[in-house]
Amino acid sequence: MYLQLSDEELVGLLKVDDHLALENLFNRYYKSLCQLSAVYTKDFEIAEEVVANMFMKLWDTRNDLNLQNVKGYLSVSIRNASINQLQRKKLVVESIDEVAHQLSNIADELTPLNIITGRESYNRILKLIDTLPASQREVLLMSHVDNLSKHEIAAISDISVRTVETTLYQSVKKLRLLLKDFYNSAASN
Amino acid sequence: MEEQSYRLITAYFEKTISDEGLTQLREWIEESPANLAQFSETIQILEASKAYTAQPLNQQKSWVGIQQYINQPLKAKNTRILRYKWLAAAAILLAVCSTTLAWYKHMLNALTSIEYAEVSNVNGRHTKVYLPDSSVVYLSGGSKIKFAKGFDGKTRNVQLNGEAFFDVVHQAKPFVVSSGKISTVVLGTSFNVKAYSSQQKVTVTVKSGKVGVLATVNGKRKLVKYLTPDEQIEINTLNGLYAFGQTDAHAVSGWINNDLSFYNTALTDIAQSIEHHYGVHIDFTDPEQGHVKLTTKFDNVSLKQVMQTLSELSGLAYTQKGNQFFFTNTNQKGGSIMR
Repeated sequence: MYLQLSDEELVGLLKVDDHLALENLFNRYYKSLCQLSAVYTKDFEIAEEVVANMFMKLWDTRNDLNLQNVKGYLSVSIRNASINQLQRKKLVVESIDEVAHQLSNIADELTPLNIITGRESYNRILKLIDTLPASQREVLLMSHVDNLSKHEIAAISDISVRTVETTLYQSVKKLRLLLKDFYNSAASN
Repeated sequence: MEEQSYRLITAYFEKTISDEGLTQLREWIEESPANLAQFSETIQILEASKAYTAQPLNQQKSWVGIQQYINQPLKAKNTRILRYKWLAAAAILLAVCSTTLAWYKHMLNALTSIEYAEVSNVNGRHTKVYLPDSSVVYLSGGSKIKFAKGFDGKTRNVQLNGEAFFDVVHQAKPFVVSSGKISTVVLGTSFNVKAYSSQQKVTVTVKSGKVGVLATVNGKRKLVKYLTPDEQIEINTLNGLYAFGQTDAHAVSGWINNDLSFYNTALTDIAQSIEHHYGVHIDFTDPEQGHVKLTTKFDNVSLKQVMQTLSELSGLAYTQKGNQFFFTNTNQKGGSIMR
């Protein structure tokens, strides 16, 4: 059973041309890697492309791989590939509309918070996230990628766990300030 | 203190907060309206930023692309690919012919006498079963279904021991899943039934449509409850007590995609699911330890990672011997020999 095998064992199986091993790795990490890539590319379609290409590359280089930490390797590869992709394609279309569409599902849930705030401030926050300093934006969004711990975020971005924690807190604090500014200026107008 | 409060709110949002932290957070919120405002604003920001990370839509398509890529032989010439394609087509044709032939034979047999088909899975194996009426059953590990070939009777009857997700094609003939004394009757819906005879418990969860759950008491069948989408009923078959409520049917049936979610579930129940899913044995050196309730989610992760997460959440250590896992208390200094 492939489900039982660790990532490292699966990568070992790639060397004997085992397609199922690649498929299992793909199923295990596709979603979270796409989310990670989208932090940089800001476009989910491009993110999916980047991830698919990375798996093809993984297959091509399977005989030279000797990995201790497969998840870390994949995450760092995706980060690099996504940043490269950005540099290659300077013009990135930001799909705020799509995000807003997904938000409509969330906003339909009637938590007390949603009743008070509504959808508008969500869109406001989404736009403000893109105005954060790059490092804060990166850590804030990475903290929501599936199955990615603080330690792994620290390893991928090459910063300490402590820095991840403080950056996360600073990004939320900054966003609160930005939001307050926005509402104050809206009220005075 | 400011950073500490952000940390508590983040832990609360990620549902990783400890009881102690929760009390601390509650007290801090009650201290002043400004704190309450900070709390709700922070949660709102976290929720919005979570929505920023979307779900992939084209996983299947991406995999097909990768598969094509890895299947192409190096330095392949056009003619060779063509020949392969021809061979593949021939092989598929042959396979289709032989299976239809076999199926016709079965059908002929079914006309003369009622024959039953049985599909069973060992732990750790999943199968997708197509029923004679082209309904689909996803059969979980350690589970078994039995049904009359051809579904000729007045009802489409399936016997189940274990867990299965049914996607039933609509027909006037009722579709009945019986697991011991409990039967689930539908016309055309999708729902999940978990009924391992070892657990003395039957759980039915509805994903779409309407489902009737019946129990046989003193030889008479009577209706327990009708269920609508995202409703779940849990029946204890020993004492006949049942409980029902709302749930997320998508999460309950997630196991068919190797996604396991547990909400406030006893570790023993989680262990049993893991046993069926991954085909391993899990034991507790002290059965009391299994009572701790956990909320967690495993999306297609390896067994090793599952065990590590469970061990972290429960505070129990585990040891592995081949296919066998033992949960032990990390800081145990004594115990009782009478257990």
